[in-house]
Amino acid sequence: MISVSNLSKKLGEVQALDSLTFDAYDGQITGLLGPNGAGKTTCLRTIFGLLKPDQGTTSINGIDVAKQPLAAKQELGLFPDPFGIYERLTPREYICYFAELSGLERSAAITATDKVILDLQLADIADRRCKGFSQGQRMKTALAQAIVHQPKNIILDEPTRGLDVMSTRILRDMLGKLKSEGHCILFSSHVMQEVASLCDRVVVMADGKAVAIGSPQELCDQTNQTSLEEAFISLIGTDEGIAA
Amino acid sequence: MNNRFTSLLRKELLDAVRDKRSVMAGLYYAFFTPVLLAVVLTAVINKATNPEDIEITITNGIEASNLVNYLSDRGISQGDDPDKLKNIELVISTDFSKQLNRAEPAEVTLIADQSEDSLRTAIARIKRALGSYSSEMVSLRLISRGINPNIINPIKVHIQDQATAVSKGGQIMGVMTMLMILSVFVAGMNLAIDTSAGERERNSLALLLSHPVSVLQLVMSKTVAVSIFGMLGLILTIIVSKFVYPFVPWQELGFSVDISGSFVLGALLAGFSVAIFAASMQLFVSFMAKSFKEAQTYISFVMFVPIAMSYAATLDFAVEELRWAPVSGQLQALIDLAKGKEIPLLQLAVSCLSTLIISLALIFGMERLLKSEKIVFGL
Repeated sequence: MISVSNLSKKLGEVQALDSLTFDAYDGQITGLLGPNGAGKTTCLRTIFGLLKPDQGTTSINGIDVAKQPLAAKQELGLFPDPFGIYERLTPREYICYFAELSGLERSAAITATDKVILDLQLADIADRRCKGFSQGQRMKTALAQAIVHQPKNIILDEPTRGLDVMSTRILRDMLGKLKSEGHCILFSSHVMQEVASLCDRVVVMADGKAVAIGSPQELCDQTNQTSLEEAFISLIGTDEGIAA
Repeated sequence: MNNRFTSLLRKELLDAVRDKRSVMAGLYYAFFTPVLLAVVLTAVINKATNPEDIEITITNGIEASNLVNYLSDRGISQGDDPDKLKNIELVISTDFSKQLNRAEPAEVTLIADQSEDSLRTAIARIKRALGSYSSEMVSLRLISRGINPNIINPIKVHIQDQATAVSKGGQIMGVMTMLMILSVFVAGMNLAIDTSAGERERNSLALLLSHPVSVLQLVMSKTVAVSIFGMLGLILTIIVSKFVYPFVPWQELGFSVDISGSFVLGALLAGFSVAIFAASMQLFVSFMAKSFKEAQTYISFVMFVPIAMSYAATLDFAVEELRWAPVSGQLQALIDLAKGKEIPLLQLAVSCLSTLIISLALIFGMERLLKSEKIVFGL
């Protein structure tokens, strides 16, 4: 479970986060939906302790990120945007490396890597160097890196950006599987359809604030609209920066 | 160190070994610098020990056949091959023999462009030959007048050279040692940039920092990886030197250059502290850069300092304090060792220690940099 409470952060002159509060629960997919520049990435970076909030706290499974950053990170898996692939390593080496950094012993990391390669059907590219990989292959490698150590909480930053239909489906299936296994999944997106079809709960963000929180249906009911898109527009007052 | 440090280091080295640019940068210097120096020195020694004949234009040589013969004995003669002919003309006055007979200064004119570098040694040799001819004439004249020619030599200088065959080669050993120590800086440089600024450029820095790894361990692993590359560069340079330098004809200069076992040991010990310093300095600087290119620029600025200090130590215009400073201190101690002098242990210890202290400061500085969101995200 990820808890964000009263989070504020100023980046230069911009108030990137403004008293942001929400929770993401285990066994649920929570979507952080907002236009470009709403503060989604800043929020995720703060959860990882890479940015220090001016005010407020974040906690992972009850561990305060500011007070025990290493312990908190131990509970997290990150699928970043951009992926941050090491082009000279093979996916197997890459995944295993991050598994070890996440605290697995080498032998356990090797076993976990084998398993995730199998789960994500990566075997055909697992021992090729990442240089020259397609976006879909990179996505799979990055996803494997995020989940190899079986973290309770998984955070994805704009996961479907630049992916083709097949890759998006693989990602979606994997997220569904993780959810059914009881993981807490939080992802940021500005793609409406993705959020509508995947999320149990949606946190609508604008100008660093959470303007509404609820299931897609609740948001529609709340705004008396029939689709999430219409609901979203009526919540933030504009459709600027949002992809259907 | 625990499991995570090993993982970090293993990945750094694996990534580095697969980076052709990093590996080439290390090998290239280590291999070619000693070879190049050996080739240049061989050429210089051959030139110095076998002076080639100088062909010049002598005008009116008939007038001074004695002088022309004298010059010719010393390899200076009238040439007729236009390819070899140097652009130097020696004009002998038409009155030369008359003036000589009357004991008046007999005139010769040397016509050449003195700013021309390629003529400088030839001109100097001709002047020297003319000078010695002149003093022989003086002696003969004095004898013919019944005067002991020693009267014009009020002082006779004897020189007893105490230099040993090894110490005579000291200056050259100095340059060789400097090239070895600088190899530590060159061999790891590309890797240092790749693993810091490159990491940021490839967007993997933030991902790395999102993992439960202490920043200090991260920084240490990178420093150790770059130091290992630097040390490999040093070892390779020493090996290549050991094979290549014996081919240089040192005996022609009356000294020997020997890379002894104790020198190798000293170089590795001193090189170790310099390698850690080089790694931490280069990493510190390139972590501040946003891109590979920017890091290259910064590094070339800071590299000037150790290079300048090394030159100062090697070419002996160093102030006394430099004997205790990082890099130049180790270098001077090594040069002393190479010259066969006693190793200045205290000086070596102090410079190694100061090098390591500065490296530690840089490592902690990097830890702070990587905890700063401004640096990590380039805000």
